[in-house]
Amino acid sequence: MSINALLDEFKIKAASPKKQLAEYKAQGKKVIGVLPYYAPEELVYAAGMVPMGIWGSNTKSISRAKEYCATFYCTIAQLALEMLLDGTMDGLDGIITPTICDTLRPMSQNFRVSMGEKMAVIFLAHPQNRFEDFGLQFCIDQYTHVKKELEKVAGKEMTDEAIQDAIKVYNKARAARRTFVKLANEHCDVITPVKRSAVLKAFYFMEKPEYIEKLNELNEELSKLPACDWKGTKVVTSGIICDNPKLLEIFEENSIAIAADDVAHESRSFRTDAPEDEKDPMMALAKQFANIDYDVLLYDQASSKNRRGEFVADMVKESGAQGLVLFMQQFCDPEEMEYPYLKKALEEKNIPHIKLGIDQQMRDFGQAQTAIQAFADVLEMSK
Amino acid sequence: MSAVYTLGIDVGSTASKCIILKDGSEIAAKSLIDVGAGTSGPKRAIDMVLSEAGMKREDMAFVLATGYGRNSLMGLADKQMSELSCHARGAAFLFPEVHTVIDIGGQDVKVLHIEKGAMTNFQMNDKCAAGTGRFLDVMARVLEVKVEELGDLGAKSQKKVGISSTCTVFAESEVISQLAMGTDKCDIIDGIHRSVAGRVAGLAHRIGVVPQVVMTGGVAQNAGVVNALRAELGCEIKTSPLTQYNGALGAALFAWQAATR
Repeated sequence: MSINALLDEFKIKAASPKKQLAEYKAQGKKVIGVLPYYAPEELVYAAGMVPMGIWGSNTKSISRAKEYCATFYCTIAQLALEMLLDGTMDGLDGIITPTICDTLRPMSQNFRVSMGEKMAVIFLAHPQNRFEDFGLQFCIDQYTHVKKELEKVAGKEMTDEAIQDAIKVYNKARAARRTFVKLANEHCDVITPVKRSAVLKAFYFMEKPEYIEKLNELNEELSKLPACDWKGTKVVTSGIICDNPKLLEIFEENSIAIAADDVAHESRSFRTDAPEDEKDPMMALAKQFANIDYDVLLYDQASSKNRRGEFVADMVKESGAQGLVLFMQQFCDPEEMEYPYLKKALEEKNIPHIKLGIDQQMRDFGQAQTAIQAFADVLEMSK
Repeated sequence: MSAVYTLGIDVGSTASKCIILKDGSEIAAKSLIDVGAGTSGPKRAIDMVLSEAGMKREDMAFVLATGYGRNSLMGLADKQMSELSCHARGAAFLFPEVHTVIDIGGQDVKVLHIEKGAMTNFQMNDKCAAGTGRFLDVMARVLEVKVEELGDLGAKSQKKVGISSTCTVFAESEVISQLAMGTDKCDIIDGIHRSVAGRVAGLAHRIGVVPQVVMTGGVAQNAGVVNALRAELGCEIKTSPLTQYNGALGAALFAWQAATR
């Protein structure tokens, strides 16, 4: 397939989760919704079911979810519930509700109360102390609970071999996306911010073997292209999610390419593979979680050294970007609290940045347009 | 060699401003209409400035649009730019020593850091009307005074009254409560000015306040806000009689640069 045909396919998949859910159900498959963050999707795959990520929506407004949510809950969580309440995700056989932040924790109970009779609602609490033996054991215990609940939905037990196989598939999906992100930087004239986002978002809705095959094909085609002589500027993006095409179009209008990202919905989710040489596959999954580093939501034993801030600042330098755009999801406490440290690290390395307050219910991007356009002027000067 | 005329148009959220610049250095004409984006304001302002200069669109070597409604003028303008870059350029033209520009417009507050006449960093307000011109409009309506009277009335204040700086809606309730308690309007207005200054100073400190500080935008015409901000920041704040035209001036300067490149 041509690059454009592949990109069109990813675009369609990224924009139509409801349609794909209906197709999976028509094929007689069971489907599990997976909420942010770090759920061991490998277990869903190993159980022979289809995992679908639920990270809110850019086209819906919060209405029915207000019955359950406090106003300060982030829109991702609220719109995820809205999609479950308004029938968009009807047909799901269950959902996994991780609880890593102060919104998702109580939210897991909102999901249970609102959806408990309609589908399996599988609670997942990751350990904060994830490195020590007891942390790994806690994680294994939690994942074992998820595994048992998934087995009930699937109506069959999953074997260690099936989980090992799932780990390999997911590692391939992570590797393919890491390669794509690098190629997207090298060929930013072809992979625009909107297209880049659609390719990465499609992962959440497509069946993984098909996604890997298509993405590897795209990567191969991209690697054949001559390196792009980009005349515009480049940024690194950071935040929880920035998948709104209208917002990303503003980058394109101002000739700003995305060189790399530190976004939870994108690269943060595929930086770390699960070890494939671990005898116990549940331990391999626990280690995958433990090995995730430089993440806003996860405990860092050396946080006072601002390792994460420096990691992101280095990413800007190493990717050839001139600045960073932080998408501050309203109202994400962990991201807001981490921001002063990120700002400090960026300023120490003379990296310009802007912080854009975003919300998935935003339909007008006038203020963001002004800020991004002005930032393009600032970046042009620092090239 | 004949003179080069360029037109800068700043379509803000509450006003439309135009400046025609001769040879990038002399203001040939200017116009201001008190309605902005989405209204008849931009067209009227353009007609007015061309009429004042006795010129036609075709006489302009380059036309550059800026401000919230800048995209609506594509077709008429040769290029559009963000108002942040234009305010930086305009302020640097009026005050060559400027390092910090505080622009309070109808719905935005922007703080710009300037080095050698060019913007190197900036901060904008969040999606909140507190601290903007809109905040003052709302308060003036509740107090039954004209917004342009706020500066003089606030100067007559005898007593400090605290008004919340966190939210326009809550601050409006506070003003109504103060009026119900019989508090002097001038004292309330002074409290409102300090409230705006507190909010804006917080934003300014995020990128650092480096003298010379220049205030632009319509709110810079309100001496009460300027004085309150001066006290809050602890430094001199320069303003210009052209403050409301500053964005249009910057646009006209960029237009001249494009025309003579």
